Amino acid sequence: MATTYDVIVVGSGACGGWAAMELSRAGMKVLMLEAGAPVNQAKDFHHTFLYQMDYRGQGKPGMLRRYSGSERNYRIMIDSQENPYTTTPDTVYRWGRSRCLGGRTLHWARASDRMADYEFKAASRDGYGMDWPISYADLKPYYDRVESFIGVSAAMEGLPQFPDGVFLPPMGLTCAEAIFTAAAKSLAWPTTHRRLAQLTRIHNGRPSCHYCGNCVNGCDVGAMFSTVSTTLPPALKTGNLEVRTDCVAALVRMNSENRAQGVSYIERYTMRPVDVDAKYVVLAASTLENTRLLLLSAKGGLANSSGALGQYMMDQVGGGGVSGYLPKLKGGPSRLDDGKSAGITIPNFHNIDAKTQRQDFIRGYVMNATGGQTEFPQFAASLPGYGSAWKKEVKSRYVAQARVWIAGGEMLAQKENGVTLDPEVKDHWGIPVLKIHFQHCDNDRKIIADFQQKAEELFRKAGGEIMPGMERGGPTGFPGAPGSPDRPAEGAPARQRALGGSIHEVGTARMSASPKDGVLNSFCQTHDVENLYVFGGNAFVTSGDKHPTLTMMALTARGCDHLLERAQGKKV
Amino acid sequence: MLPTRRDLLEILARASALPGAAQFLAAWQSAGEHQHANNAPPEPPLLRDYQPQFFDAADFAALQSLCEILIPTDDTPGAREAHCAHFIDFLLHNADAVPQLQQQWRSGLASLQEAGFHAADAAGRAALVEAMARPERERGTTHPLYSVYRLVKQQNAFAFYTSRAGMIETLDYRGNSYNATFPACTHPEHHVV
Repeated sequence: MATTYDVIVVGSGACGGWAAMELSRAGMKVLMLEAGAPVNQAKDFHHTFLYQMDYRGQGKPGMLRRYSGSERNYRIMIDSQENPYTTTPDTVYRWGRSRCLGGRTLHWARASDRMADYEFKAASRDGYGMDWPISYADLKPYYDRVESFIGVSAAMEGLPQFPDGVFLPPMGLTCAEAIFTAAAKSLAWPTTHRRLAQLTRIHNGRPSCHYCGNCVNGCDVGAMFSTVSTTLPPALKTGNLEVRTDCVAALVRMNSENRAQGVSYIERYTMRPVDVDAKYVVLAASTLENTRLLLLSAKGGLANSSGALGQYMMDQVGGGGVSGYLPKLKGGPSRLDDGKSAGITIPNFHNIDAKTQRQDFIRGYVMNATGGQTEFPQFAASLPGYGSAWKKEVKSRYVAQARVWIAGGEMLAQKENGVTLDPEVKDHWGIPVLKIHFQHCDNDRKIIADFQQKAEELFRKAGGEIMPGMERGGPTGFPGAPGSPDRPAEGAPARQRALGGSIHEVGTARMSASPKDGVLNSFCQTHDVENLYVFGGNAFVTSGDKHPTLTMMALTARGCDHLLERAQGKKV
Repeated sequence: MLPTRRDLLEILARASALPGAAQFLAAWQSAGEHQHANNAPPEPPLLRDYQPQFFDAADFAALQSLCEILIPTDDTPGAREAHCAHFIDFLLHNADAVPQLQQQWRSGLASLQEAGFHAADAAGRAALVEAMARPERERGTTHPLYSVYRLVKQQNAFAFYTSRAGMIETLDYRGNSYNATFPACTHPEHHVV
């Protein structure tokens, strides 16, 4: 007879890993389904110099078009030929995805910020959209719990718009970051160390960072938070978790009592369909995959009495920025500047309160700045000249490189932005794919324009010089490398930046106080199906200006408490 | 002998359970911090033993010469030591999936030959490169081979600065290493505007 589990968790990323850990530790029998392959950080991730790879990180010409990664890490990215998606004709959207144990936690940027009340209650202030049904106070204990466990290195600042948390010591500033910090302070802008889920000391049995700068290629020792390094080991230790990899979830099966019966999945290689049953179903397969599963599970979408499923999709505004060099550092010695892969953060200082209210746009944005030595001098080919003089100039500017970029700008929740099932296109397993419709609104564009002006102001204040051809550089990457921020999406008109580049997609099943207004309640339980929870960015009512992962994990922790209260009848 | 990465991982795993582990590791690791250039692994033999397969001998020799004019060997290595032309040939030989890229380079080298680059002596080649590169310095000027110059310059710069000779021996890249602490800025002049 088939086993009945207490909970099926679909997905193994930041939220799936957390849910599996919390629920299995509480004694529940948990089955985790992961569509991709297993990952072993010690065996699969290495320090690799560009020159050790045949194609220097770019892959065989043409090969990496299928992935959003580099030659180093494409194996932990999704194969877009097996997993296509479509867009409406007026949409240029790049959906960065992973299918492997740990998902995007294996190569994420690790930025871990708390959202503040001005983001949860933005609608009350400016009248646009809807407030979240929760406030910062509701989430604070869960932010504390998540940070304490995963380890976040950061500095306490006492800024109301950038709430402090339970932090490990911050990493030191590089010379360029010190210069940008001084420049921001002289402009009376707030600054802090970038808050990162990256250990600065031994924490919960994990080693501290060794500052190799390889984070997005997978951390070989688990000093950065990932499911594989952090949440999966204690979950497996309970003996209550079974992990099945290479299992592609196809839908949530319902019973006649309007309860989720379980999940149907397809074995990735054999194509065999399998049904598994459980008392509770948790979708944590990433924001858009969660919504896809709900759309696939019932005509018109499961748990969609509100009609809001698939709507109000957001990312965060990005693009633009300034690159160049800092003359103060030119010609200096080589340093380990990119070893921590970080930067400084300039928290939002617009529309926080009456004093900071802007007339030209609502909501706000966060900036980042960094500089110094990188793996590859991206500017070199843009620097006029050649010969020994050019070579010396490259070297002297190489240690002085600098850039300011937008970390997260709030994108307004527009009803029309979102996903539906494509009626024609199916993936490798015959499962209908998503069609994405996504456009900026005027407010988004005004935020980008304001950021661009502020980025230049900061750069000038730091004494920086903008390099020819480098005005629109991103934080990392080589010219036109797959996944680099300057690379347009396949088939995009020249110079048009694809949306989705932030990889901060949220919304499409927002939480609401009333079942009329959203798909989820404030615990990420669906309003319509009592034993179905959705963990990820789906619940977001506003995108906020913070990196979303920590908030997704705090929402997951809160949702797990709620699930456990109902399942075990005890207050957690 | 310097410890290997595996040794370090094993020590890290054991040491993390011990009191005072961080201090021990700090002292142990800092011993290796100043030997980075020696620690960076050697270049794999791929290009050292490589025979051109995409370009014919005349075109390859011309490309090699142009790469070395653009990135010469001086007090640090240049395109020659970095095997830049070999890398470009290797890349194009394996670019079947992008035929337009292969065609761009074939016609680029053909244009160079027509302009006399292949047959010219060192002084003639230097003069031609200077003319080709002029629009980069002087806006408004043009040269029929400017696009060829940009094509070679871009790929040559990529080949050079991603090689061991460019990345480690010329730029002294410090990342991709094991470090006990992050070296923060200690310069007072960087903390004021």
